[in-house]
Amino acid sequence: MDIQSAQPDRLNAVFSAMSDPTRRAILGRLARSEATVSELMAPFAISQPAISKHLKVLERAGLIEGGRDAQRRPRRLCAQAMKEAADWIEPFRRQWEARFDNLANHLATIQSEEK
Amino acid sequence: MPPAFQTDTDCVVDRATHTIRLIRDLDAPPALVFEAWTKPEHISVWWDATGAPLESCEMDVRRGGSFTFVSSSNPDHIFAGTYIEVAPPHRLVFDANGAEGRLILDAKGEGTRMTVEIDCRTSEMLDHYLEVGVTAGTSQTLANLAAFLDEQTVSTG
Repeated sequence: MDIQSAQPDRLNAVFSAMSDPTRRAILGRLARSEATVSELMAPFAISQPAISKHLKVLERAGLIEGGRDAQRRPRRLCAQAMKEAADWIEPFRRQWEARFDNLANHLATIQSEEK
Repeated sequence: MPPAFQTDTDCVVDRATHTIRLIRDLDAPPALVFEAWTKPEHISVWWDATGAPLESCEMDVRRGGSFTFVSSSNPDHIFAGTYIEVAPPHRLVFDANGAEGRLILDAKGEGTRMTVEIDCRTSEMLDHYLEVGVTAGTSQTLANLAAFLDEQTVSTG
């Protein structure tokens, strides 16, 4: 599915899913390789039901897949959904990043002048 | 974070609080970053994403004071608003065309963690931006979401 045909509701679900730091960390872990629930749990001080809840939100948003055999099946990232979200937000993010790059350069200039 | 999001600026859309949040770490103390946001001779240099200096920049940095930035690359697009809270060196809150902007500067080591929040005020408004953004279809249309947000809030409010 390309960005043109992506459903707004689905994108909303994607951004809502990605607004939580634990879920972003889970996505970051899955970006490196697929992982089981217990592997995903390891870096977090949260219970198994709590992590399962986060995984369910990510699955519903279409960001991850796998795990029909509850605990053992590894979860994987769905690259397409991630890309859709990135395509949507990327131009906006890039504009602000350009602005912040200018700011960082300007701060460096002021600081070198002060020395 | 996954590779697509591995950049210097983290950008998160938080639908629950109808806020777009941008986070960037800078190698300068909060006081200097605050100054860069609140003095026209500084903001003129860096505000325009294209790197061109602002055509004009007026700012009355106190609660209730107003600001007007005019970019030379796009003079029709005027970024203007009112300061709501001026609390150096950690916090600057302003209203710009119906959305609330919040600058939060936290010391991080020798530098600063800078957070910019754009609060669209209602989730309906944020939803509307998402919806229009998707149906508009191309990245080009979305390339200047900030300008788009301004236009929407002007025409609806």
